[in-house]
Amino acid sequence: MPRPGFVLEVDERTPPLLVHEGESFRMQRFPVGTRVVYPPDSLPGIRDVPTAVRHALLNPVDMEPLTALLTPGMKLTIAVDDISIPLPPMVLPDIRQRILEQVIELAASKGVDDLEIIVATALHRRMTSAEIRRMVGERVFRSFWPKDLYNFDAEDPDALTHVGKTDEGEDVEISKRAAESDLVVYVNVNLVAMDGGHKSVAIGLASYKSLRHHHNVHTMLHSRSYMDPRPGKSAIADSATRMGRMLRDAGVKIFQIETTMNADTFPENLGFLNKREWEWSAFDQGLMMASKKANDMAPPRIRREFFRRIEAPYKLTGVNAGEVEAVHERTLTNLHRQQLVEVGGQSDVVIFGLPYIGPYNVNSIMNPILVHCLGLGYLFNMYRNKPLVKKGGVVIMYHPVPWEFHQIHHPSYIDFFEEVLRETTDPKTIETKFEERYAKDPWYTHLYRTSHAYHGVHPFYMWYWGAHGRDHAGDVILVGGEPKSVARLGYRTAGSLRDAIEMATDTVGPSPTMTYFHAPPIMIADVR
Amino acid sequence: MGTRDDLKEMARGFRWGRRPLVPKSAEPFEQPREDAVFPSDWARTDAGVAARQLILNGPMNAILHNELSLRVYGREHLEGVEGPVIFFSNHSSHLDATLIMTSLPDRWQAKTAVGAARDYFFDVWWRQAFTALVYGAFPIDRGRGGSGATDKALELLNDGWSIVVFPEGTRSADGHVQRFRHGTARLCLEAGVGAAPIAIIGGFQAMPKGRFWPKAGRLPVTVRYGEVLYPEEGETHQELTRRMSQGVAELFDEHRTTWWEALRRRERGETPSLAPPMGPDWRRKWEGSRPVPRRGPARAWE
Amino acid sequence: MSIRALEFYRSPARYVGARTIGARAPGLVAGPLAPLRLATLKDLSPPREGWTRVKPRLSGICGSDLATIGGRSSFYFSPLVSLPFVPGHEVVGELLDDCGDLTAGTRVVISSVLGCAARGEDPMCPNCEAGRTGRCDRVTVGHLQAGLQTGFCKDTYGGWGRQMLAHRSQLFVVPDGMADDVAVLVEPFACAIHAAHRAQIAPGSSVLIVGAGTVGILTLIAVRSFTQAGHVVIAAKHRAQRAAARMAGANEVVNPEHAAKAVRRISSAIKLTPERGQDFLLGGADVSIECVGSRAGLDLALRTVKAGGRVVLSGIPAGGADLTPLWFRELELVGAYTAGVEETPAGPRHAFELAIETASSLGPVLGQMVGATYPLDRWRDAIDHAMSAGRLGTFKVAFAPQG
Repeated sequence: MPRPGFVLEVDERTPPLLVHEGESFRMQRFPVGTRVVYPPDSLPGIRDVPTAVRHALLNPVDMEPLTALLTPGMKLTIAVDDISIPLPPMVLPDIRQRILEQVIELAASKGVDDLEIIVATALHRRMTSAEIRRMVGERVFRSFWPKDLYNFDAEDPDALTHVGKTDEGEDVEISKRAAESDLVVYVNVNLVAMDGGHKSVAIGLASYKSLRHHHNVHTMLHSRSYMDPRPGKSAIADSATRMGRMLRDAGVKIFQIETTMNADTFPENLGFLNKREWEWSAFDQGLMMASKKANDMAPPRIRREFFRRIEAPYKLTGVNAGEVEAVHERTLTNLHRQQLVEVGGQSDVVIFGLPYIGPYNVNSIMNPILVHCLGLGYLFNMYRNKPLVKKGGVVIMYHPVPWEFHQIHHPSYIDFFEEVLRETTDPKTIETKFEERYAKDPWYTHLYRTSHAYHGVHPFYMWYWGAHGRDHAGDVILVGGEPKSVARLGYRTAGSLRDAIEMATDTVGPSPTMTYFHAPPIMIADVR
Repeated sequence: MGTRDDLKEMARGFRWGRRPLVPKSAEPFEQPREDAVFPSDWARTDAGVAARQLILNGPMNAILHNELSLRVYGREHLEGVEGPVIFFSNHSSHLDATLIMTSLPDRWQAKTAVGAARDYFFDVWWRQAFTALVYGAFPIDRGRGGSGATDKALELLNDGWSIVVFPEGTRSADGHVQRFRHGTARLCLEAGVGAAPIAIIGGFQAMPKGRFWPKAGRLPVTVRYGEVLYPEEGETHQELTRRMSQGVAELFDEHRTTWWEALRRRERGETPSLAPPMGPDWRRKWEGSRPVPRRGPARAWE
Repeated sequence: MSIRALEFYRSPARYVGARTIGARAPGLVAGPLAPLRLATLKDLSPPREGWTRVKPRLSGICGSDLATIGGRSSFYFSPLVSLPFVPGHEVVGELLDDCGDLTAGTRVVISSVLGCAARGEDPMCPNCEAGRTGRCDRVTVGHLQAGLQTGFCKDTYGGWGRQMLAHRSQLFVVPDGMADDVAVLVEPFACAIHAAHRAQIAPGSSVLIVGAGTVGILTLIAVRSFTQAGHVVIAAKHRAQRAAARMAGANEVVNPEHAAKAVRRISSAIKLTPERGQDFLLGGADVSIECVGSRAGLDLALRTVKAGGRVVLSGIPAGGADLTPLWFRELELVGAYTAGVEETPAGPRHAFELAIETASSLGPVLGQMVGATYPLDRWRDAIDHAMSAGRLGTFKVAFAPQG
């Protein structure tokens, strides 16, 4: 019987608790009285996945069955979520492979010839062929790569089409192939509440001209939070909704397939990472200590490889297909069932342990900008109603923040860190002064289109992602962070939690109330 | 970050060598205790079974035959029976489980687990390890009544494991067979398996409650297996319990007289009850401790 | 034979084991070394008029119980107990039979001393006659086997079991509004009230209370409620204890290492440091009450009291304290054992009645003290928890035997 998430109050009986710290972790003794938010137990997965998928395809919500929508001679485009999801990458077969195979099977039986599969990368980097093969499976890869299975190119003017503008004057410019298809089937994995819904096509297959309307500082500061897609709560979701409805009204027909996963985030050999510490058996404790020792002793390369190879044994908790908004409502219900935790009230200090992986460094390196995005962006915004920390409170995060960048994946980040952040860390100034130049820079565009680099403007989005967090917090302290990188980000370093709390008292006074958000696994705090 | 300090932190925080604790605010969400602290499934893996059979057929068997004058009858009732079954017997001695496990035919012995009281056999790791290894034991929650006490038993039966239970619930204090509790019958009905009665005669005389080693003198002990009872259509657990008591009573009858006489008495409904004599306490104890007559050498036709 | 209970039984090997390695490896004391077992005992029936069976709802684990299990109690007690017995003398329970003026189902707390009234001694010894049942001389004779209290007597069983016997003279009714986890503290609270009276604290006196576990905190509350003590200092080792001590009205809450300094300050005494042993004062508090039961606690109490002052021993003393200050400073060393009738300004009242009255208004504070309850079959967890209660932020650990 899976138990709900809950808030622990640390007492003398509580053992040291596990805190993620990049490509490592530590056992931290928290002061008595600290609140710790724990996610719900992992829900059991659907046992017969192929049948569940088939059922969804043939019994969609608010739309005809897929078989009815497929006709011979039609132009069919399938769009798939890219490598930034799920995290960690899931054990094979990936759920997208399973869904793709069934959709393609149906298409073939219905005599569809004109079929293209686009990886919906928007301005993310192109996926390598190996990465795509892993995601879609051998059969699909060999049948369609590279002519009819390819990464989306947001900088190819011939591949884009300006569909129109929304009521609020937002440009909607998406993949030409998708806009002109008779049917777009979108295969989504909904890891966090921000994914899916209108975001899939309207953002995943959109160009910079569209994206700038919601990927900006103003939208970020008016999303409380962007993980809460209820109307009025997330400005970005509202914008995506306007764009999506615009597309719908313009005649773009989308058959949306969305999936949700349970919380089996880490494999058996790291099983203790999924369990509550006081429920660790002697074996778990031994395993933890052995892993930690081995990890600490390993050279950085080996450590990185070890973490890179972690695959999540995620199980499917739900699959729904049909009309975008109706499907997404069901998806969110499933998601919240697995991830929602009720938390009573805010505290003066919030503590996050940052894991080794985020959406933008899969098979890559987490540079300082991505640390900022993961901590003040994603983890900070995993709330509904109010952030876990009071306005002006302190955010304490654990991460080594190495001054390290992946040369191929993140070239524009390097320059952003060296040039832009050296001058200012204020998001508004950065947006006005630098964004346009990086977005239009031909070198970055070239690397985006031909290499495997994130778009020139992408580091800006990473910076904006944490704008609300930055604005809300009075101080941000990195425990264990490299002083130079942390300073460049505009934050402070502390050697230990005790020092960090000491520093925090400057901002929030003596004896602050504290909350430790014990994620991963992913969860959303419903703060009352 | 010295390893010694880390170890000290872990040792203190996780209470090594002490009983595990749950933080107070996590108590409402505590996992049901179950096998959470001391799982016993390891003893039912292939390696566990091999080790157990070695112990039972080697030293355990040798000790039993050395300390007691032991006879086993009726195993042929198990021939051709498709497992699993619930073995049940009267309970008057710590010898009972050992007697049953050593006397079971090999194929049954490899896939049988004994039900042992959780609060006695499963509270410290070394006692649990011994019980799980030698008897393949699994915990039964005593004193909590109802059907929750036998969740593990059901799991094992569904996996094809036979189990040994003692319907009296605890050892007899005076040698007489106490009232059978209904849990075993309920389990039979729920799992849809048969119940194989076993009578252990002489156990109380050889090693009564309070003793942990048989009395000197190679006292006679007999283990008798009976025919497997299958739950009938629409049978209630009370009726099944009665049939189970009757099964054991018939085995006692057969032992005290002969098979033929016992059969005839059964047909007439005259199997002597196993209930103790009426009257004051001393009379029960007196009857219960009556020595078992020693048999001559094993006769060829028994 | 159907009463499940924890039985304390004779096991010389375990006694020796617990006594020698118990201190170093406390985990073993709750494990294989405990001379305690969960057994099914003979049924009980009230032996004669005035007796009843009681169904314990909550039974506390007391320091004396832990000392007994850990093999640390003095051999002095050996003729005063009858083995095997069921421990547990801090009991709130329900009557199973009618008894005197009380009907079955009434919720009661039990004054555990088995005095003359319970033992059918007629005439009673002078102490029981005067209401001071704790001083009964007849605890080894009469209707029952030897046993200074319920919880040390073979015939009556005790609180750590599903059923026990009690005599009408031992029963005190619990008011309906009082929760079980406050009622289970009535017995130790009554003992603390008795200790506070034994201390004979003159108005305005300074008092040092050594120890801030259950006994220490309840003594502090008793001192504040029933005497007109002046400045009260309490020596508390652990964080949760210090917080409770402040709430209970101590003027000063200090670490045990700093207790002598604190007392010195308030009494303008001279502090001396011997070559070996604890610091002591020439001068000091008027009264000190020792609530830990350790050698260090008694040393502290004896050394920080003014000449002619009084030291009250609230718990079973550990041996080995240096009694030199008792002689040199002409101190009074006074024992306080259980609870009986006290002389109050309003006339003689039984300490249990006083405890129940006071506890009714102190519900919120007292209600926090029971930190954990355990069913009988988790007794090893319960004992292990009770042995480190202070460090774990718990005051009282109790059994809920019916669970």
